[in-house]
Amino acid sequence: MTHSDLDSVRRPIATAHGLPNAHYTDPAVFAEERDALMAAEWAGLGVAADVPETGDARPIDFLGMPLLLLRDRAGVVRVFHNICRHRGMILVDAPRRIEGALRCPYHSWCYSTEGRLVSTPHVGGPGQNTATGIDRDTLGLIEVRSHLWMGVVWINLSGDAAPFAEHHADLLARWGEFDHPLHHGGADSCFVLDVACNWKLAVENYCESYHLPWVHPGLNTYSRLEDHYHIEAADRYSGQGTHVYRQLTGPEGQRFADFDGLSSKWDTAAEYIAAYPNVLLGVHRDHAFAIVLTPKGPGHTQEQIHLFYPEADTDADLRARNTAQWKDVFKEDIFVVEGMQRGRHAPAFDGGRFSAAMDGPTHMFHAWVAARMQHHRAQAEAAE
Amino acid sequence: MKTLEAALLAAHDAGDRHALVTLYQQAAEAVSGAERAFFLTQAHVFAMEVAHPAAEALRAQLVEMGREEPL
Repeated sequence: MTHSDLDSVRRPIATAHGLPNAHYTDPAVFAEERDALMAAEWAGLGVAADVPETGDARPIDFLGMPLLLLRDRAGVVRVFHNICRHRGMILVDAPRRIEGALRCPYHSWCYSTEGRLVSTPHVGGPGQNTATGIDRDTLGLIEVRSHLWMGVVWINLSGDAAPFAEHHADLLARWGEFDHPLHHGGADSCFVLDVACNWKLAVENYCESYHLPWVHPGLNTYSRLEDHYHIEAADRYSGQGTHVYRQLTGPEGQRFADFDGLSSKWDTAAEYIAAYPNVLLGVHRDHAFAIVLTPKGPGHTQEQIHLFYPEADTDADLRARNTAQWKDVFKEDIFVVEGMQRGRHAPAFDGGRFSAAMDGPTHMFHAWVAARMQHHRAQAEAAE
Repeated sequence: MKTLEAALLAAHDAGDRHALVTLYQQAAEAVSGAERAFFLTQAHVFAMEVAHPAAEALRAQLVEMGREEPL
């Protein structure tokens, strides 16, 4: 891999090449991307609805790192490294509710749900629970910077990204009309797809509308290619919008309620945005969804899909229909992302060429990846 | 004491933290000094874990004995 490979990705779309194969197949590049694209940015970890009640704790393996998603006593969703400060033992190995303190199963050091170290039993000898050098104030759980938006728990592992609201100010403004409480639809409104592709292929496919008439002919019957527009915000997000969103209607004419206060644009508009690096979002007048992509390896991605509504109480049948509808659409994409993944093992593939008219959002994502990787490598070289 | 030991082992096996709080408190009543502090610590840890109503008093006892810090 040379820097010139990435220079060609960053060229104007008409002459640019896509990312080289190694970005989809090479474990070393996968590890680099973990630091350069995931840890350094605001990445999606899960959804707040994964820990709906006070004390709920869910261990999450994120790029090989053991993390813990937890809703503390005050209801605040927090993310910690899922390890005891004593011997590095995994604290929580399956989703469960913390009733009081979080007790390490090894030597029983205890933490509050806010992460504070509150007990170190026998640390100074039997029955002596304090010891010189064990400063509890400095030995709390290691917290990961996190932020909630659109129901998603976003994390910045490096801790040095700009605050989320600043980093994504443009996107927050774009979708400011959806700044209402989102109600997760519950167990029937989430599903997981395990896909044999690199996580970036899921982003790339989601960004663009070019494939819709071919891969989603059902959508094309009412949402034609020419009804779509590109959404492009360099270095932050890209995607597509439609002018002809049609609400789901049940057999008795029932529909979901709208979000309050939407402007008339949203009567028929819907937008689908990939917030770099790994969160795919969709908004409509009557529901929203989030797809959190969890990379499991260079050629394996887990997609967690969650649907949200403006109100807590929604029609169960209609909700099930909506979930099924989206599941069908997302499953239609699997053969293309998996096919592109297999294609990335062809040595002759040069990253491909883009349609300047249709692939802008995808190229924007590639250019972002290339720029971040070049920046990361330059920093690493400077540190040597 | 043998009966108490058996009850403690059974509670550990069952993962019954509430019972462990009670049983370790009972164990502490029969002894003094460091041994008492040991059993009270065991009771306190499990009490904290399950938000047992005795947790606060157990901690206070340990603090008074110079074995623990206040929260």
